[in-house]
Amino acid sequence: MPQGMERASRALRKAWHWLREVTGDAAYENYLRHCAANESRANSSALKKMTRTEFYSDSLRRKYSTINRCC
Amino acid sequence: MNRLLKTILWTGISLAGAAALAAIAFERQEPLNAVWFVVAAVATYVVAYRFYSSFIAAKVLALDDTRATPAERLEDGKDFVPTNKWVLIGHHFAAIAGPGPLVGPTLAAQFGYLPGTLWLILGAVLGGCVQDFTTLFFSMRRNGKSLGQMAREEVGKRGGMLALLAVLAIMVILLAAVALIVVKALKDSPWGTFTLAMTIPIAVLVGIYLRFLRPGRILEASLIGVALVLVAVVAGQWVNASPSWSQAFTLSGPTLAIAIIIYGFAASALPVWLLLAPRDYLSAFIKVGAIVALAGGILFVRPTLQMPALTRFIDGSGPVFAGKIFPFCFITIACGAVSGFHALISSGTTPKMILHESHARMIGYGAMLMESFVGVMAMIAACVLSPGVYFAINAPAGIVGKTPEAAAAVIHSWGFPLDPHAIITLAHRVGERTLLDRTGGAPSLAVGMAQIFSGTIGGDRLLGIWYHFAIMFEALFILTVLDAGTRVGRFMVQELGGHIWKPLGQRGWIPGILISSALICGAWGYFLWQGVQDPLGGINSVWPLFGIANQLLAAVALVVGTTILLKMGKLKWIWVTLAPMAMLVAVTMTASYQKIFDASPRLGFLAQANLLASQIATGAIPPDRIAATQRLIFNNRLDAAVTGVLALMVCALLFEALTVWAGILFAGKQAALNEAPYVPTRWAEGD
Repeated sequence: MPQGMERASRALRKAWHWLREVTGDAAYENYLRHCAANESRANSSALKKMTRTEFYSDSLRRKYSTINRCC
Repeated sequence: MNRLLKTILWTGISLAGAAALAAIAFERQEPLNAVWFVVAAVATYVVAYRFYSSFIAAKVLALDDTRATPAERLEDGKDFVPTNKWVLIGHHFAAIAGPGPLVGPTLAAQFGYLPGTLWLILGAVLGGCVQDFTTLFFSMRRNGKSLGQMAREEVGKRGGMLALLAVLAIMVILLAAVALIVVKALKDSPWGTFTLAMTIPIAVLVGIYLRFLRPGRILEASLIGVALVLVAVVAGQWVNASPSWSQAFTLSGPTLAIAIIIYGFAASALPVWLLLAPRDYLSAFIKVGAIVALAGGILFVRPTLQMPALTRFIDGSGPVFAGKIFPFCFITIACGAVSGFHALISSGTTPKMILHESHARMIGYGAMLMESFVGVMAMIAACVLSPGVYFAINAPAGIVGKTPEAAAAVIHSWGFPLDPHAIITLAHRVGERTLLDRTGGAPSLAVGMAQIFSGTIGGDRLLGIWYHFAIMFEALFILTVLDAGTRVGRFMVQELGGHIWKPLGQRGWIPGILISSALICGAWGYFLWQGVQDPLGGINSVWPLFGIANQLLAAVALVVGTTILLKMGKLKWIWVTLAPMAMLVAVTMTASYQKIFDASPRLGFLAQANLLASQIATGAIPPDRIAATQRLIFNNRLDAAVTGVLALMVCALLFEALTVWAGILFAGKQAALNEAPYVPTRWAEGD
């Protein structure tokens, strides 16, 4: 049934999106989106954009400098 | 839905919950099915979430969606990131759910299923969820400030310092307690040791993949890593079957303890991308997978609980740990009911990511309900074992003896039949040489989980694989807590040490990293070593110490919360945080007092030290054991001192808070609330 298929594929896409967000897989894309929005708002490129590798290293440094896991 | 239908629905859910709770509390004739526990827990959670949390949100905290959250005002794409509430609850749950809600209920099952189950369900909805929710809200209103910073600003400078020291102390004891559980689960177990050892090169491989090959592709790297870990679980049985390999991976408790201390040091000092972060990713995936699988397994198999509602050990003479239900059930089960450590997460990264204020209710209150349910499932898994088998695994050799026959005789004398051959056969079926003297809760939980899993897939043939999957899952995320905790502990030591000697405070200075890593590993390593050497299994002393520390931290969070509520002018609703705070203060102070001063050597640290000292004096200890006994005496006195200092710190904070409260209530002092100023949101609710 095309409608059912459509609904199932939408649900799968949503689940995939959720999984990427919750695991941090999409963090760099979100960061780029934030930079793009900032640039357009401030109409300048004052913010130095990090590469994917730089962003990954930076996020690890921030994440594991504070209590982020419980007992 | 119209009003009548809603009323009928909520009445139905409430009645179902009440009936299930009544069955758990009063049924004594027939063994209960696990479904009763699931219904009681879920119905209570749903009702509490719908009514109690919405009351707190609307009346007590007055969440305001017109107010911009820190994620909106301070958005930087890194720390302050507005995040969808369903994504954020996933993050938050993964952060708060550790080994605690699995181990605590398993140990507390020695009282029977009733006390622990009631505390898990009611403690969570009235205490733990309230603590997590209110702390999250207060931190969100203060731009994501930590519990220590809030204590300093709202209660006073000394309060802040006390909260910081309490956090460091609990960290040290927590790390020792969880490391001890891994040691007890893996000693003389080549299969389990091999699997866990393999997770280190697998994590390094994932780390290199994420750093150099495909930076930041966490999902695909973690899936590759998880597949490799599962292969390692299966490969473990071949290692177990090979005489030479199995000998290489058969390690004693002390050897394992040294290996874990070295590992903790390495994980703390090495770059985070190499070992710590990839292990964390693997652990998070396997943790969530195993929890979902356990829930599915319980619903599919619907096992019957073998443990009685109450055992004779409610009198305080339990072999797993000494002490009566009050206060020790409430100390043993911290995570899953009320956990002070959650207040550190709720005042960490989560408040910086909340999109709208109203989301704090689902994330703070809701995630803790999920953790409570994990605790209830652990209780079910522990209680599906026959009580004889449960006590054979969890009672130390110092109490039940070293052979199956001796253990069976002692456990039989407690009124729990146990066939010595059955425990030997069970050990072989799960791929272990013995299951006796496996204190710490992890092995008995793994046997319970393996029975549930093998009832779903594979039957008896896969019992060994499922057992070792469960052991790997518990040990893996215990080690994740260990490396992350050691690293954060290292930063705390550097920060504190920096006040005394400046260079130590520089995070990038290599000698400083090595010294502070050694200090923090030495601190928790000492308590671990003490636990490994303890003839009573170690858990009897280390786990209550951890429970007391954790619940004291919860009391700190609730003291801070109560102070803020008072400053907000919410005197009418102050009982929301004051009642759980009073309960925790009563529990922890009683437990601390009993652990220090009780006359029974099994319960009181000082009584145990005095007994050993008198045994040396009367010549009852052979000369070659005198040095070891003197160490035991010192350790008991040290444990008494640590417990006393923790309790005194909380008394001091409470006194500080009481003076603030009295100032507001009686002296008419102006209550200075340190909230960030109101800024209207630019976002609509649907954003």
